[in-house]
Amino acid sequence: MYTQSITRKHRTAFVLTIDCSGSMSETMRFRGREMTKAEAVAAVTNDLLFELIERARRNDGVRDYYDLAVLSYSGDDEVRSLLPGGRETMSVAELAASEMPVRRESVEYRLPDGSMAIREIPVPAWIAPQAAGQTPMCEALRRARDLVRGWTARPEHAASFPPVVFNITDGEATDGDEEELRAVAQQIRNLRTSDGNVLLINIHIACGDESQPLFFPSRDEACYPNRYAALLYDCSSEMPEAFDAAIREAKGPGAIPPFRGMSYNASAAELVAMLNIGSISVKTE
Amino acid sequence: MIATLHTFMRALLTPDLSLRTLSDARVITGNDALPRLLRTSRFVEAEIEWRGARWLLSMPLTSAAVPHIERAASFVRRLTAPWVHEYRILSGEMRWYDAAGTEHATDLVLERLPEGYAFDEALTAVAAETLHGALDRLQVRLREAGIAHNNLGEKNLRWSGGDLVPIRYHDLKVEAPTDADTAAFGELHRIVDRAAVAQPQTVGDVAATYTAPKPLGGHRWTGNLFEGLVCVEDETGFGYVDAQNRPVIPSRYLWAGDFHEGRAEVETPTGMGLIDREGRYVIAPEYEIVEYRPATSAVYVRRDGLWALFDYSGRQLTDFSETVKPGV
Repeated sequence: MYTQSITRKHRTAFVLTIDCSGSMSETMRFRGREMTKAEAVAAVTNDLLFELIERARRNDGVRDYYDLAVLSYSGDDEVRSLLPGGRETMSVAELAASEMPVRRESVEYRLPDGSMAIREIPVPAWIAPQAAGQTPMCEALRRARDLVRGWTARPEHAASFPPVVFNITDGEATDGDEEELRAVAQQIRNLRTSDGNVLLINIHIACGDESQPLFFPSRDEACYPNRYAALLYDCSSEMPEAFDAAIREAKGPGAIPPFRGMSYNASAAELVAMLNIGSISVKTE
Repeated sequence: MIATLHTFMRALLTPDLSLRTLSDARVITGNDALPRLLRTSRFVEAEIEWRGARWLLSMPLTSAAVPHIERAASFVRRLTAPWVHEYRILSGEMRWYDAAGTEHATDLVLERLPEGYAFDEALTAVAAETLHGALDRLQVRLREAGIAHNNLGEKNLRWSGGDLVPIRYHDLKVEAPTDADTAAFGELHRIVDRAAVAQPQTVGDVAATYTAPKPLGGHRWTGNLFEGLVCVEDETGFGYVDAQNRPVIPSRYLWAGDFHEGRAEVETPTGMGLIDREGRYVIAPEYEIVEYRPATSAVYVRRDGLWALFDYSGRQLTDFSETVKPGV
């Protein structure tokens, strides 16, 4: 299980659902800087897309290893695709061939003597920060569920590495209660290919406390002081054993499985580490 | 903890803050100012300029790759032949911090790129018998050195100084006698033969054996093969396919030219631009005319009736003025 190589013959899919609701205008400390949660979410999403595209790039071009979907949820219970042209899904090669917006971002670097240096560097910017309206997370996850259900039902994907759904949110759904959210999350996790069940990874972006960033938490670690921590933990996939060694390598030898597919205020490095683990473990080729 | 590609990219853009030995290096970037990364099975790599030379800088994507490159670097360091270029591990070269503020240092592989050009370019620029001879010489040299490159594909050879020079020694095997490269050399000879057959015919070729390339169907119009890519016109516009008719760059241009030295002029609704072999814009499609001169690597660009000179990497070398003229 979870051992199928991601190839052009055995493709997979990544679905990103992004919280762009009004609560995302709150400020937080992320990557050492003050920014809005919307900016943090955009940074996380753009890093993920960059990593996904560059991982598929070889000397003969970007190989068609997977399909991508990027859904935002905000406004008046609105769920819409953020891909170019509003397309519901695109192959990674198609997205790579489209015009990539680039913007300049100030990045803070810690020097060996402990002092800080700030540099402005170009960064990919497919997704712009957005914060408006409500948080129809249940509907967004239902859309993701339907997308993934259709994808896994296609015969050519039957033996593929299962799709991965990343839900990037501050945890506050306005279109359903906790049970509804748990139910749709369970429906997503129940979908499967012959290689395993779909993985639902929740990336929790939040402010207001001093907790350390966290990724792939065990049950004990997920008890940080945020009212949505337990809910998002419950909604996230338990990471399959096939990933345990790689997660332990990332977290340190003291980490003890089982791990949850979840992170809390983790920067791009940690979020993308999830993909690294997947890609490396399954030998993208 | 293995760094991500994103971490590698940021380090390449801030070498003075992120790299130890290579703090004064300059990464090769595209027109978007982002490093041009290339992923292989176990590495991500980028070309850099450092101390007046071009280098390949690679980051392992899995800790399992490290023992291989340690052995390779150790052995390559002991080879003193002129056809062997510097290949070494820079221990703890890249400094970076995870979200929890923990510092990490990642080993990188630094490899000097021989001057010259890529194997696929040599196929069109160098006579087939010369390439066969160079392959034979290289096979003997590797055997005499007691090593197998073990991944001797087209992309891991460069034509330099009248010889074929291997690069990317990551999978090197030390054994005697060694035959791990035998099959690779056989395939490389076949590639040379196929390229020779595919060369354009001239008057002197009429007596030669000629195998017509397989026609590329399914397009409104089909051009000729240049540097492995064929310009085609489809319902959606002009684009590029490879010699097997597999789409490489989507058909989305109003017009597109043939590839020369890895660059092609294209026209879009917003103007003309210059792309690389992966369809990335080296010069954004926003000009009236883009005129690329492969022989000199110069690009003449017209805007509002005035011309400016750009270089191969898309850097603007002059202002738009009346004094710059593309000439003949």
